[in-house]
Amino acid sequence: MGELSSATPAQTLDVLGRVCPYPLVLTKKAMEKLPSGAVIKVLCDAPASAEDSIPRYAEKQGFKFESVKNEGYWELYIQKK
Amino acid sequence: MATKKLAFIVKSLPYKTEASRLALTHAIASQTVEIYLEDGDMVEPVLAFMGDGVLNCLKNQKAMTLYGVTSLEQHIKNSLLLDLKVMICKEDVERFGLSEDALIMDAEDIGGETNANIAPFNEIMKEMDSSDHLLFF
Repeated sequence: MGELSSATPAQTLDVLGRVCPYPLVLTKKAMEKLPSGAVIKVLCDAPASAEDSIPRYAEKQGFKFESVKNEGYWELYIQKK
Repeated sequence: MATKKLAFIVKSLPYKTEASRLALTHAIASQTVEIYLEDGDMVEPVLAFMGDGVLNCLKNQKAMTLYGVTSLEQHIKNSLLLDLKVMICKEDVERFGLSEDALIMDAEDIGGETNANIAPFNEIMKEMDSSDHLLFF
């Protein structure tokens, strides 16, 4: 397990069943409310969001990011800087 | 570093065409494009329903029952959930004899914190005047 995925998330955001662009915009909205340093865990089954837009958003914001791929969905861990 | 303001003006009737659905999905999707822009560049969308378009905002749409398609009501609530600015033309609401109770004004049932605003035409015009791009649907 990575550094973020072994941490206790401050919030778990379930966007399972949601398709692009909702996973990203809901993640953005949740991140805005998190305090600095907090980790969010996002459950997502939309490949374009999990493998492209959310990691790209995290990178652009300078947030730490980890992804754990499971059967049919991803656990995405993002730490606000 | 700049913010581009986009006004999505919905004048079409719901379900007659895909126009209003496109407006809603594009307005929502505009919140994701910053990941492809330069650092600090932002997009600020405004959704305004005018003319026949105010009928998109009616509550209790039975789109799946009547037309076999997903409801625009959910898209409007999603817009509010995502804190988009949603304006509904006051004069057109009155022209159709509608009350605020008949319209989708909030998305509290899905956790939304932003409300729609029944605004006079001149307020919507101010939003349009201050927008960088106007998109009519």
